[in-house]
Amino acid sequence: METILEMLRRIGYLLTRNRRRRELESEMEFHREMSVRAGKPEARRSFGNPDRLQEQAREAWGWTWIDRLVQDLSYAARTLRRSPGFTLTAVMVLAIGIGVNITAFSLFNMMVLQYLPIRDPQSIVRLQRRSPDASTNSISYSSMMFYRDHARTLSAVMGTFGLGGQRLEEDMESKLAYYVTGNYFQELGTRPEVGRLIDAARDDTPAASPVVVLSYGLWQRRYGSDTGVVGKVIHINGKPATVIGVTPYALAALGSAHPDLWMPLQKLPYFLDGNTTLAPTGSSGDMEMWGRLAPGVTAKAAEQELLGLTNELRKQYPKDIWDKEYIRADPGGHDQILEKDTVMIMSAVGSLVFLILVVACANLGGLLLARGVSREHEIGIRVAIGAGRGRIFRQLFTESLLLSALGSATGLFLGYATLRIFMARANAPLWMTATPDWRVILFTVAVGLVAAVFFGLAPAMQIARQRQRRTIIRQILLGAQIAASCLLLIVAGLLVRAAEHALYANPGFGFEQVVAVDPDLGTHGYKPADARNFLEQFRQRVQQIPGVTSVALTSMQPLGHNKVSKISNTINGHLVSIFPFTVDPSFFQTMQVPLMRGRNFLPGEQHAVIISDSLAQKQWPGEDPLGKQDASGSGPGDVVIGVVANARMMDMRDGDTVELYHAAREEDMADLTVLVGTSGVPDGLTPALRSIAQNLDPKLFPEVRLLKGEFHRETQSAGNIAMIISLLGFVAALLAGLGIVGLVAYSVSQRTREIAIRLALGASRMQLLGAILRQFSWPVVLGLIAGAAATAVVSQVLRGMLYGVSNLDPLSYAAAIALLIGIFAVAALLPARRALKLDVARALHQE
Amino acid sequence: MPMFRMPKSDTPKSGMPSGALAMLILRVLHSGPLHGYAIAQRIHVLSSEVLEVEEGSLYPALQKILLKGWASAEWGISETNRKVRFYRLTPAGQKQLETELEDYARVTEAIQSVLRTA
Repeated sequence: METILEMLRRIGYLLTRNRRRRELESEMEFHREMSVRAGKPEARRSFGNPDRLQEQAREAWGWTWIDRLVQDLSYAARTLRRSPGFTLTAVMVLAIGIGVNITAFSLFNMMVLQYLPIRDPQSIVRLQRRSPDASTNSISYSSMMFYRDHARTLSAVMGTFGLGGQRLEEDMESKLAYYVTGNYFQELGTRPEVGRLIDAARDDTPAASPVVVLSYGLWQRRYGSDTGVVGKVIHINGKPATVIGVTPYALAALGSAHPDLWMPLQKLPYFLDGNTTLAPTGSSGDMEMWGRLAPGVTAKAAEQELLGLTNELRKQYPKDIWDKEYIRADPGGHDQILEKDTVMIMSAVGSLVFLILVVACANLGGLLLARGVSREHEIGIRVAIGAGRGRIFRQLFTESLLLSALGSATGLFLGYATLRIFMARANAPLWMTATPDWRVILFTVAVGLVAAVFFGLAPAMQIARQRQRRTIIRQILLGAQIAASCLLLIVAGLLVRAAEHALYANPGFGFEQVVAVDPDLGTHGYKPADARNFLEQFRQRVQQIPGVTSVALTSMQPLGHNKVSKISNTINGHLVSIFPFTVDPSFFQTMQVPLMRGRNFLPGEQHAVIISDSLAQKQWPGEDPLGKQDASGSGPGDVVIGVVANARMMDMRDGDTVELYHAAREEDMADLTVLVGTSGVPDGLTPALRSIAQNLDPKLFPEVRLLKGEFHRETQSAGNIAMIISLLGFVAALLAGLGIVGLVAYSVSQRTREIAIRLALGASRMQLLGAILRQFSWPVVLGLIAGAAATAVVSQVLRGMLYGVSNLDPLSYAAAIALLIGIFAVAALLPARRALKLDVARALHQE
Repeated sequence: MPMFRMPKSDTPKSGMPSGALAMLILRVLHSGPLHGYAIAQRIHVLSSEVLEVEEGSLYPALQKILLKGWASAEWGISETNRKVRFYRLTPAGQKQLETELEDYARVTEAIQSVLRTA
């Protein structure tokens, strides 16, 4: 049993180790002198090697492993320094493999693991309505207040209502405003850049004088960072409000919100005449709800209590609360809230990135094995002077560890640099920094160790047993590289095809000549009848603009990201995402979605639905859908009157989604967006459309968007993703190519003599080339098959982002395989040529 | 890799179990502080020149005694006027010696009784 005192003595020894070593040395020296003096001259001999004896004595303290490690490390460092070419290649290969992983993890870390720099971020929760088959991220103000007033597990509830289309003075560009509960900034502990922030008691009451907080960006751009703006009166939607302050430069807001303006929620009806958000209405609404857990309360406990409250709420709004509805509490103190889809995408990206590391390690493993052969001599000598297998193995593995440490350090730097560039280009929140934190460092160390085991263990074992000439391990390593690069290249190919498809293929609807105008009538308090009136007049006037060919109404703006609703239903055993549109009869003409069967809606028609061809195929394959009831996602009694072509207007990336259309009725009018189709270029229409809306009602400030602009934004992100993954794919292919060059070159140099003899005996050079390459062709073929098969299975996950391209798209597979075979041919032939040019006489004389 | 590596074998070359060597060392230190060479000499002389303590076992044993805290080391001057390390029994070492002597007596007794009666 080790006592604490003993442990302390051990540590004390470690700290004074050099002095203690000298003491022992002098003590044993004295002993020896005394022995000689006592007339035992043989002592000098029998005493043995003094260093060895001292080491034995010191072993009692248990620290000799440090000395050995230092020895191994310095030996490893010398060895690596002696072959700078190899070391540089190895470190670069590793740095790429590890660096890519570090970059990916750092992003994950920043978005998901790191807490926002706010007060006590651990206890912040995002509260959302969920049920087994429905979900929404917003809730009505009245329900939110109900939860706030009754929940004891929450010490605070914060609500935000983000609203675009806000007019600041007479600016052409509309602004995004967040209306927040008065406790918002106090709960987050935000400190103002200038002035003060919203105060619950002072500003967030219906009677308070209207105030506004500017974002740092707006303050800088529009007000030239003038601190004098605090106290001034500005006009929002034509309403005067006093500027009280500016949010800080690196503001950390919940849900990564970054509006231009912040206003107290209670003043919403003041800034937006007739807005009914704060009025008691059912349970669905526009508020985002956040909470702070009371001290010592877990999110699960809060969910329990909130479930009880939801059931109480059901008594008040029996129709509004879903079946088995509950409030989900997710950790909210991060940049991103982890949802199922994000987890899927992140693990997909994580696996791809990990493959790069696999390729790098397999590559390096091959290099190390080849190097082991050229070190046979050195290792032979070490074994001859008494080094055991264990010792040789430890030495070789120490070398690998040193390599991986160098690679990790370089990778950490590479990752940091990549992240800096990425963050600057991707508009990352300003509080984020690329500087690695402890998690990234820990991850780096872990990946470095894993890599060292991957690439160093097998070769070290083989070499220590002096079996490095066996080719099987080398072939496995080559096969693994090929398989992993094959997978990466196919995925890259699929994504490139998808991006191309998104750009050039017909998405099933016309977007080039359509403008969306969102008057946001509901937010401005319009009643259905007024909304219908407004829309009729608006339509009449717009139709008089030259070049306008049609005007339509829709509940969801195609290619838009606001007000998107989606139903997930199981149809014939498959989970299908359905986008339910509410449209007027001219929608299909305006969006150029052809009617395939049946007829169009009559205006305001009830109990009729039009479905997309994809929905018809999924629900009633081979049957006539016309006249059927119960189309998935429709209401009871709705009859299918028509089938239109597929048009992926809401989620272009996912080829498996389907559409369902209802006819717009009067009660839907306040929530509809206007679509304007033109015969020419629609770019110049914005001012005219906006002024027509404002002539009809001066308090409106509609958002006007060109659908082609939204389309380009969408395809650009697809292009970016395809580019990043292609880059990964090419890095992997390049690494694999380098690995093949190394292996073949090594194999040729190893077999120079054999080749020369066979040439001398009359073998043709082509035969020899075949013999050299044959040992590599099997692993390559097997690797390609394994890679393609694995991709076919795992790419299922990607279906949702391929813009309708099949995940088994033959072109992508063929291209990746052809590319790899090409790389293999070039990489193998380059060094193999040496064998063909071999001067037989010289080669044989050399031996 | 384990934090501490214990010496591979507890039985050094002298053929004497290290436990017994430690006991002998503690016993000769009982009468006063000694340096390493003197310890070996004392054991040699007291055993009527039967027991020869080799340096290869003496110093590992001494290091272990220091680690266990049974003796403390201090610098002194040898009879040949050299600065050398003297080992002094600590109270913990005193206790250890007593325990070991008791154990030893018991075992010897037991062995003796077997030898007598068998």
